[in-house]
Formats: sequence, structure tokens, C-alpha cells
Amino acid sequence: MRLFMSAYETLLSGKPGDKLFLLGNEAIARGAIEAGVAVATTYPGTPSSEVGDILYEIGAEAGMKFEFSVNEKVAMESAFAASLAGLKSFVFMKHVGLNVASDVLMSISYTGIRGPMVIMSADDPSMFSSQNEQDNRYYAHFAHVPLIEPSNPQEAKDFLKVAFEISKMESLPVIFRTTTRISHMRGTVTLSPVSAPNLKGRFAKGGRSFVSLPSNSYDYKDELIDKMRRIGTHDFQGILNRSEGDRESRIGFISSGEAYNVLRDVLDKHQVNAEVLKLGITNPMPENIAREFLSRHGTIIVVEEVDPIIESDIRAIADVGFPEVTVLGKMDGTVPMSHETSPNTLEEALAGILDFNITDRKPYKQEQELPPRPPVLCAGCPHRATYFAVKRAVKMLKLDDPVYSTDIGCYSLGNYEPFSEADIMLEMGSSIGVGSGFTRATDQRVISFIGDSTFFHAGIPALVNAVNNNSRMLVVIMDNDVTAMTGRQPNPGTPVSQTAGRQKSQSIENIVRSLGVDSLKTVDPYDLKETLGAIMEGLKNEGVSVVIAKRECAILRDNRMRKEGHEVKYHVVPESCSSCFNCVENFACPALSISNGKVTIDPVLCDGCGVCSQPYVCPFKAIEVSNVEN
Amino acid sequence: MKTNILLAGVGGQGVLTLGLIISRAALEQGENVIMSEIHGLAQRGGSVTVEVRIGNFRAPIIPDGDVDLTIGMEPLETMRSLSRAPTGSRVIMSTEKLAPVSLSIRHEEYPDLRVLTESISDNFHLGTIDAVSVARKSGSFRAANIAILGFAIGTGWLNLSLECTRNQIRTIFSKKSLEINLKALEAGLEMGKSAQQEFVERLA
Repeated sequence: MRLFMSAYETLLSGKPGDKLFLLGNEAIARGAIEAGVAVATTYPGTPSSEVGDILYEIGAEAGMKFEFSVNEKVAMESAFAASLAGLKSFVFMKHVGLNVASDVLMSISYTGIRGPMVIMSADDPSMFSSQNEQDNRYYAHFAHVPLIEPSNPQEAKDFLKVAFEISKMESLPVIFRTTTRISHMRGTVTLSPVSAPNLKGRFAKGGRSFVSLPSNSYDYKDELIDKMRRIGTHDFQGILNRSEGDRESRIGFISSGEAYNVLRDVLDKHQVNAEVLKLGITNPMPENIAREFLSRHGTIIVVEEVDPIIESDIRAIADVGFPEVTVLGKMDGTVPMSHETSPNTLEEALAGILDFNITDRKPYKQEQELPPRPPVLCAGCPHRATYFAVKRAVKMLKLDDPVYSTDIGCYSLGNYEPFSEADIMLEMGSSIGVGSGFTRATDQRVISFIGDSTFFHAGIPALVNAVNNNSRMLVVIMDNDVTAMTGRQPNPGTPVSQTAGRQKSQSIENIVRSLGVDSLKTVDPYDLKETLGAIMEGLKNEGVSVVIAKRECAILRDNRMRKEGHEVKYHVVPESCSSCFNCVENFACPALSISNGKVTIDPVLCDGCGVCSQPYVCPFKAIEVSNVEN
Repeated sequence: MKTNILLAGVGGQGVLTLGLIISRAALEQGENVIMSEIHGLAQRGGSVTVEVRIGNFRAPIIPDGDVDLTIGMEPLETMRSLSRAPTGSRVIMSTEKLAPVSLSIRHEEYPDLRVLTESISDNFHLGTIDAVSVARKSGSFRAANIAILGFAIGTGWLNLSLECTRNQIRTIFSKKSLEINLKALEAGLEMGKSAQQEFVERLA
């Protein structure tokens, strides 16, 4: 969409002093450019994805080398290598991506780095698009690395540059933690000058060893602790940490990130002028600043997103030096332990303590129950056709209780009605690992669903394992050419024609064949007959069967066809529609609905895939191509 | 001015673009603005809400009960988002229905629009526009978000300078789609003005 393209261009062309209305992630991309990052790597994941989209598009022009890596672990290894060659490197991912990369993180804090390196973790409190709301600030404590927490797009840009400075100071990677609200909030950002990246890297031999053999790591651990102690005594010239409000207030607040924003709004609304210590670096805890703050207030309330991490540190400091100070937060139940900080909940929590009344207008109480609108596969999505075919195949073969093991991607939506083809889903690649595990435990048929990008990311080792252990299972690889759910980023299988600067596209079919699976078939899911046949055949086999359902993402197809100037739409011929409702009940395309007892197709939503016109969906041939409309 | 605007609709209807134009126009007028956009699991077809906060706010989340104006691109989604708005606040709704899949798989039809509209207008100040057909008349159904924007300004409920709004539309669209969108803005605006006239007469 041109809208966002133009915003990306201004990220590059914007002059110092310009004020832009930026998404947190856009501000972070600009921050990387201002910092002069030489190498940036990522695996896309909401809420971090836009940073990669932007750097993919304009990074080269900014003089940066950008890589969509196969997974987060490789992304971090890649950024680490750039750092060892002396370059400034930036690796970013969603919170659960850091689980994948944690094997790298845990050791690079010991070995240390050379060029400054920042690791961004975009956490997802309240789980808007994730399987959990893990608080990745623990990783900073776990690995003994500094942790920076911005509160808005301006800070996101500016603090990122400070993070690189801190990294440089002690040759340590620094974790830069955002949350959904920060990454996906828009606000005004004032630009600073950009610095041209130094791209001339060279790995200098000799000096410090980066071989993490026990003999080296043993010494590096003591060094690491010393480095963190030194950073803990630094005051960062008031850039990262600041206190505001009445220094004499009975109650003092300590907060960071988005929780600070919510706290600030609640205090402002009720004109509470309590002192608030806003922390931008929370590991190591700036102990001198914290001690001074504790000495001024009888009660301290800690408000943070998600787990009580600052609170634990503050309680420890209070226990040792300030036994008369009461610390409140999540641990005693003043603030909830789960989910993002809600303005209403925080207001209620503070009303009693701060003695203010909530005289708000109350939200409207819905009397009627509204039909839900859960997230759905897009009109024209090839995955819908695949799920339809698998369900039909299971029915035709009269399979009793097959186990559906699914994975992370758009196709996770196969969980919802009418497909209900998801029994288990954990993390990237789990569909095949868990699926294969079931074959050890039960003789139920196992069907695993995995997307192309997820297959490359973590599916391959699991498939090797399934073949090696002769698991009796069907793996359906739903290949739509791109990493669709996060915004259609390229992956190793994306056709070369669709991406700039790539010479090769890897074939999933060749990879799977080389693993020695028992049966393999590639089909076009828009062809229901062919797809159904392949799935039935796969389900009859005894060993590992793979069906690759290959068809470009509907949004890609949509954009392509619109550009080519032809939009195809389908409609229902009312006289032919028998109102059997097979299409709405079992195919459930969002463009289909029932009106006056007949099925209709919304021409705005219809994607023109035509799958609903096939006899498996409409046995009465009531769905036909329309003339193109505006 | 301290205003909290909640925008609701279905993914693909241009709710994000609508939020962006409102925010940028308000910024051009010299206001402080923050906006939140949450990208859920679906690329298209799920419920979408965008929150625009004009004034000195820090958090992009509007507290439940603090919504001043709700703009809904779809009746059911408008109704759904009203559980965050206080009774008696202002609501602008586009009347074109998009039936959620959850209905049709149970062979159910969309709730009666008249009943839905009445239950909203019993509890809120409601202005309605068939933004999709206005947009279609202006050249493309895709301009429905801009038609409802014009309507909201026309009613006087969305306090945005028309000039700033036009400027922002110009920065986002180009060529043919710019023409269509400016036309949709004007058409919506006129309808908003006459709706405002009706409100005044009804009150008098």
C-alpha cells in the first residue's frame, strides 16, 4: 500500500528536527539508521515485524546490510558475527523468538562482542498475537546483559541509540525491550541526524578468544559480573532515568515502559502529584538512584509490564537498607499479575490508596449477545481450500478421531469453526515434533499442518526425526510463497521474481524428497479434486507422507491481479441456489453469507478464487463468474 | 481539546487509514495526538479497532467509559465497540453490513439492522450514513472510510479542519484514487451537514 511506502521513504529522507507521526516500530527503524547500524537481521514476528519490513525496503539505501534470516537463532548468530568483525549490528524479533535465539544469547554475554550489538525483543502483554505473554526482561537477568525499556516512539528511537552506546561501553550485547503498545503506538517523533554506517568489517585474530570452551567461559563469568556492576553505577546523564512530581509525596511510584504511560494518565486525571521514578534501564537496576528514591518515600508502588521484575529488585533493596519502607506491586496483589496494565484496573487499584473517587461515565452495558467475529482466513485464502479438502478426506476415509497438530501462521486459524482442524499448537515447528510424538503413544491417525516459512524455521529437524523414527503421519505443508501472517515477508522458498537482491529460491519439495519420506505429492489447493486425492492417498500410507499444498497467498494474488488490471468476482445465481448451505457451513468464506434464505457473495470481499464454484462446495453449479466491477 | 476517538470496523475496510488521516489532520491543526493500532491474528476479515487520543495523553489505550466519539465502519462492529463508550456519547455508523462467518455457518442471518440501529440510538447520539454506497457513487467502494470521515466532520462531531483533512488525504492518495477520495469526502460532508441540521431541528 502506498500509504506505508511513503512513510518509509520519509524515514530515510527526514531531516534533523523534522517531526514525523511514527509507529513505534517505524521510530525504531529510524533509530537504527540514525545509529549507523551496519548489519540488521530478523525473523518476522508480531509485534516486531514492521521494523524488518522497513529495513528490507530502505535499509540498503541507508547503507545497511539487512537479512531476513531463516529463524531467530540464525539471525542472532549473524548479527553476532557482524559485531565480531567490528560492525554495529542490530537483531530484532518477537518475544518468543528470543526463546529460539536464547542458546546464542546465553553464551555471547560470556564471550562478549566487539562492534556494538543490540537485541530487540518485542513482548506481547495480553497476547494480542502470541501464544503467551512471557516477560523477556528475565532474559536480561538470565544472561547478565543490560536491559533498556522505552515508553513511546520518541524514546524508542532515542533509547535505541543509547543502547548501542552502552553496548560499546562494556562490549556486551544489550536487550532493547518493547511491548505491543510501544511498537504499535503512533506518536510524534523529532528526528536527529543519521550516521553513515561503517561497513568495512574484519575479524581480527588474536586477543580475546570467542571460543566458548569451559576454560575460557570460567574466567569470562567473573568479567561479566564486573561489567554489569560497572554499568549499574552509571547514571546515563539522566537520559534513561528521570523522576518527576513532588519529592515530598508520601507515596512514590517506580515504573517503566507502557505501564508508565498508563500510570501517568491515571495520576494526571486525578491530579495526583506524587513523585514518579521512570526507569529506562532496568537491568542492572540503577541502585544509587533507587536507594535515593526509597529514602524519600514511606510507600513505594511499582507498576510494570508484565512480571514483578523491577519490584523484586526494589523489594531486595528495601529489605537490606530501608526496612521501614512499604513496597507494593504485583507480589502483594495491589496490581494484577496477568495481562497488560489496564487504565481502568490501575485506577481502581490506586483509588483506595491515593484516596480519590472514580466519578467516571460508565461504559454502556451490552444487553444483546452479539455474534462474534473471530479472526478468519481471508477470502480466497488457499489454506481454506486445503482445510476443506482434509476434512472431506477424513470423512470419506471414515477416520476415527484423527489428531490435528498445527503450527504458527495464518493457518492456525484452521482452529476455528467450521474446520476445527487444530488440537495442539505450541511453537514454531511443533506440529511435526508433537505429531510424530503422538505416533509413539496412540494409533490414532496424525495430521500435521505447517506453513512454508515455519517449515524452514524449525520444521526440517522435526521431519528428519519423524522419518528416522518411521512415524505414521501425514504432514501437510501449506506453502503460500511468503511469511504471510506477519505481513508477507520473503522466506527461503519465496520465488526469486518476488524479491529484490536474491539469487536463489529453495524448493521445499526437493528438501522433503531428500529426507526420504515414504510419499510426497505437491498439489494446487485451488484444485479440490487433486488436493482431496493426494490427501486421501497420504492418509492411507503407513510411514511419513507429505502433501505440499502450494499456491500463492491470496493477498499477493489480489495485489498482483489488481495491478494487472483485472479483478474477478463470483456471484450466486439465486434460481440455481438450492439453499443447501454446504458452502457457508463447510467452506465458510467470509464473502459468503445468507440473505433472505439464499446464499449471496459480497463482491467487495470476494477474491475471485472460484474454489466455491467447484462441485465439492456447490454441487448445484449455482456460483458463477461475474463481470468485473469497481 | 481532549478527545478520545474509537474507530471500529472489519479488517480490509480501511480503519487504519481512517485513523491515520484523523490523527495527522489533528496534528496539522497543532494538537498532540497518539494512536494505537493493534494487528491481530487475521490479515483481513477480523474485528479491528483503532484508538485516536487527541490531547495530553501518554498511553494509547482509551480507558473504558472515556470514549467521546465512536466511528464504526460496520453496524455489528459499531455495536460491539460501544461496550467501551459511555451511554449518551456520540456515535457515527456506516450502515453497510458485513456478515461474520460465525453467523452463516449456523445458517443464521445478520441481526435486523433496524433493531440494531434503534438500540444504539436509544442509548447514544447516533448519526448514520451508508458510506459504501456514497463511496461507490464517488468512484469506488474502497473510499467508504473517507466518506464516513466527511460525514463525521459535517455533523460537527469530529472537530477537524476540512483544509487539514484534505491536505492529509492528498499526502496519502494519488492520481485517480485521490480524486475519488476527495469526492467521497465532499459527498460525506454534505450528508453530515444535513444530518446535523436534522439533529438541530429535532432538538428544537
